[in-house]
Amino acid sequence: MRTRAARFTRILSRLTDRRFLPVLGTLLTLVIMLILGQIFFSTRRGGFISMPLFSNLLVDNSYLLLLAVGMTFVILTGGIDLSVGAVVALVGLVIARLLTSGVPLIPTLILAVLIGTSCGVLIGVMVQVFGIQPFIASLAVMFLARGLANIVSVISIGITIPANGRTDLYPGQAQFAALASWSIKFGEGRGIWRITAPMIIAFTVITIAFLVLHYTRFGRTVYGLGQGDGGTAVQRMGLRPDISKITVYAVSGTCAGIAGLLFALYTRSGYCLSGLGMELDAIAAVVIGGTLLAGGSGFVLGSVCGVFVYGLIQVLNARWGLQSWWAKVFIGAVLLVFVLLQRALTIQRTRRKQAALVMADAIDPEFR
Amino acid sequence: MTQDVINAVGRETVSAPSLGTRILTHHLLWPAVAFVVLIVACGVFSPGFLDITIRDGHLFGQLIDILRASATPLLLALGMCLVIASGGIDLSVGAVMAMSLAISLTFLKGSASANSVPTALVAIGLGLLIGLAVGLFNGTMVSVLKIQPFIATMIIMVAGRGIAMLMTKGQITTVYAAPFKAIGSGFFLGLPIPVVIAAVVTVLVLVVVRKTALGTLLESIGINRQAAHLAGVPAGAIILLVYGLCGLLAGLAGMVYGAPTMAADANNIGLMKELDAILCVVIGGTSLAGGKFYLSGTVIGALVLSTLERAVIIFRFPSQTTPLFKAVVVIVICVAQSRTLRERIARRSLRVQAAKGEVTR
Repeated sequence: MRTRAARFTRILSRLTDRRFLPVLGTLLTLVIMLILGQIFFSTRRGGFISMPLFSNLLVDNSYLLLLAVGMTFVILTGGIDLSVGAVVALVGLVIARLLTSGVPLIPTLILAVLIGTSCGVLIGVMVQVFGIQPFIASLAVMFLARGLANIVSVISIGITIPANGRTDLYPGQAQFAALASWSIKFGEGRGIWRITAPMIIAFTVITIAFLVLHYTRFGRTVYGLGQGDGGTAVQRMGLRPDISKITVYAVSGTCAGIAGLLFALYTRSGYCLSGLGMELDAIAAVVIGGTLLAGGSGFVLGSVCGVFVYGLIQVLNARWGLQSWWAKVFIGAVLLVFVLLQRALTIQRTRRKQAALVMADAIDPEFR
Repeated sequence: MTQDVINAVGRETVSAPSLGTRILTHHLLWPAVAFVVLIVACGVFSPGFLDITIRDGHLFGQLIDILRASATPLLLALGMCLVIASGGIDLSVGAVMAMSLAISLTFLKGSASANSVPTALVAIGLGLLIGLAVGLFNGTMVSVLKIQPFIATMIIMVAGRGIAMLMTKGQITTVYAAPFKAIGSGFFLGLPIPVVIAAVVTVLVLVVVRKTALGTLLESIGINRQAAHLAGVPAGAIILLVYGLCGLLAGLAGMVYGAPTMAADANNIGLMKELDAILCVVIGGTSLAGGKFYLSGTVIGALVLSTLERAVIIFRFPSQTTPLFKAVVVIVICVAQSRTLRERIARRSLRVQAAKGEVTR
């Protein structure tokens, strides 16, 4: 009996660990928003909180989930990646262009993801080898990707099942259209909800990202790089800060590549102006999800929660019948609240750190 | 003569860099080279490019167009340069442009005497005021609450356009008011008014920053805020000041940019302009890490950027490819200025010298 109570308190104290506080804040916001929705928008035929709601949230935000996951890696190291929105546009257009000119599906998808990876590697090399700030390096790649996307095509390219029925000439196009409309259906009538291919891809990537970040040497290095000492601590631990820094941007680029694929599946087309400002949506979601922009503290699952808050704001906004620009104002307000909250937490943390250093000095003056 | 003396002395005391080294390591070299190369290339490709004609007492020509086009990015970049020098960044300037234009045009639309000069002045005042207000909000977040500049200014970047839409009630507000329109498309002493405004603001900022201690204090804050604070620099107040100024100039830029069309399109006015402004500053040799800053470089950066945009059209590339060339210029200039690269080259040449020394010995 006593041990059970002890175990319970231990779990509780782990959950309310200071590190998890920002994410708990995000979760709380999510719950409050869901309750608000349940109170105001439940009809006699069904509650607001329902499987279709979550299913639609995932369908509408799967690409943002991917971007937020990749961005989390970069931000954890104290960097930033502004190129992801442009990469989404570039990848979408390349997919559309290749498929409509008869290239099979699998090579196209592999190439698409590799384009994302190489954009990321380019940023990583500029940051690590040439010492250019991540902001400027990724800004340059953002312009590069936008420019390349405009070269591929300035008009929207639709990916549909060929109208003349020549699926033999355009096998990839037909397969892509099939993939986009593929889903497993559950429920009936108004309660119908589905699992689509983008959801499965997003879940897989989130799981891999979670495991990599928390259970591998690379993941440790990512957190270590965010400590703001230029990777010295990580190097002394025998980890590889230089390679890891490039890898982090490669991860973000790859995620952006996959996000481009998901966005193409979502819109069933490629367009050079898609993804405009999407990098900021991703950064906002990561920050709302409790990751510190200074680096070193944050979680993949927090970012996932952040994306849900982001998506839910838009859903509630639409249900309330307000114009879409109100959503921007609300997102700005939520961002403000979370930033202030994070600030309050970091002040506490630095105080504790200073206290700890004073203690360490008192015990062992040679410590530093 | 004097140079000879310096050179002679330099040769003996080794440590003083020669004129060639000084030019090669000067912060303005690469942006200036880029600017000259672009202008010369355009001049060669399109012979009429360098001509300036006078019609009705006003100057016309491609070069004047470039000057006019660089007025808006320059206004943004001057404020941005000071903010970056303080170790910060301001992402909100594009949204501020939309907000200032929205409020001034909405005011003009509501007033009975939109064509009178006092009304136009009030409208301009309102635009400047909202810019200043947003700037001070950003500044408070950064200096008092000590929130990271990137995220502090991103709040307005996200919400600002929404607020601008609230002002225009979701419409693209259009209005006709000749005095207001003049700040975007009028002429003063033969020069386009945007150019005059940009020039006056540049001189004012230069004088205020470089003829007083403000610039030095700002650099000290950018290099180490804690140390500056301990040395008695009023860091908080100065940071508040530069963000306020940046917002004010962004408000001005919004009106100068939007006045020729007189249409407040809150979704599109100033879109991505914050990135252009940051590019101008970086091309000008100022590091995003803060500290040392170069207003003259920023001016050249703005000129390079608008010349580049014009050059793409002159070389008959599709105008959508402009981002590609921007990317190339930024990458080349940043890599050329990269300290890591320079150190590596210096180390290699040292090693080569050492190796030669071994051989001769």
